[in-house]
Amino acid sequence: MKVRVFYKGSLKELEFEKEKVRVSDLLMAMGLSPEYAFVVRGEDILPEGELIKDGEELRVINAISGG
Amino acid sequence: MRKCYKCGQKATVYLPQHRIAFCKEHYIEWYLKRVEETIKEFRMFGKGDRVLVAVSGGKDSLSLWDALYRLGYDADGFYINLGIGEYSKRSQLACEKFANQRGLVLHVFELEKAVASVPALKELENRPACSFCGQLKRYYTNKFAKERGYKVVATGHNLDDETAVLLSNVLSWQMDYLSRQSPVLSEGEGFVRRVKPLVKFSEKENALYAFLAKIEYVEEECPFAEGASSIEHKKLLSLLEEKSPGTKLRFYMDFLRRMRPMLKAEQVALRPCSLCGEPTTGEVCSVCRLKERVAKASLSSSPSS
Ligand SMILES: [Zn+2]
Ligand SMILES: [Zn+2]
Repeated sequence: MKVRVFYKGSLKELEFEKEKVRVSDLLMAMGLSPEYAFVVRGEDILPEGELIKDGEELRVINAISGG
Repeated sequence: MRKCYKCGQKATVYLPQHRIAFCKEHYIEWYLKRVEETIKEFRMFGKGDRVLVAVSGGKDSLSLWDALYRLGYDADGFYINLGIGEYSKRSQLACEKFANQRGLVLHVFELEKAVASVPALKELENRPACSFCGQLKRYYTNKFAKERGYKVVATGHNLDDETAVLLSNVLSWQMDYLSRQSPVLSEGEGFVRRVKPLVKFSEKENALYAFLAKIEYVEEECPFAEGASSIEHKKLLSLLEEKSPGTKLRFYMDFLRRMRPMLKAEQVALRPCSLCGEPTTGEVCSVCRLKERVAKASLSSSPSS
């Protein structure tokens, strides 16, 4: 399945082998930890265990900053 | 499905270190209450005090300003335009929009007019940009606050910033830095009080607040901060936090409670800089010396007549 992710100002597409992909899988695939990042669908923050729908567009927010 | 601790509705946010889940409305309520408790716990300021919030356009400082506004504090914003191309333009715009939407006062200060832009300074200085940039920001925020009669300067430093600095100070046993690491730095000798009301919030908690409170902040990272060692320290600490939630808050709060009282700050004699009058340990302060280097460089680069 595929998912489109809006991350730090740009849109990228991620592909997964398996059909059941959760929020935690998405973060892991992007090399991010739920400790400092979260996934947003529209106006909602998704829990880590939430299933992602094939072809949907999500936003990922990484809270870590330098400085 | 997790339920909100307050109302029992579906929770949108779970905070592992507090083992608490909230819906949107009650997360905002929890956040504001915790900001106010932190301000009171460390006796940062009161409702009648004029506070100057140092804003960058990022999630932490804008969340702080929003929280102070909602809690009824008298807080104006101070934005320093660092002259870093599109990044600075976007951040200034975010701060202006934020202030306009809420009818708040925002002061804008242009570093390029006062000294030089950060990219131009980077050409002159051998140190990392964050080093002189932080120094300049502290200097001009303090100076501005004094001149305009603000009692306190508040910054958006969060738990991750503080624990990353703490870890790095501990790794090299920087006793003097450790003795001065505090959520409140008292006023005196030319300095306005400096406070950090978000020290008990992780970066994620601030980002969650900014998202849920619909704050339009700049997500983009300062191009000069890339590869900063603090990011590595933050990632290391987040690994510990994941295994054992609450580690960061304990590390920081127990440092303040148990360790810091045992440290004695080195007594340094301060006097007014002979050029600008701001407090310094030497004859001329570091910002005036930097300005002299800028003047010399522009003199030598301009064509001789
Ligand atoms: Zn609720
Ligand atoms: Zn000076």
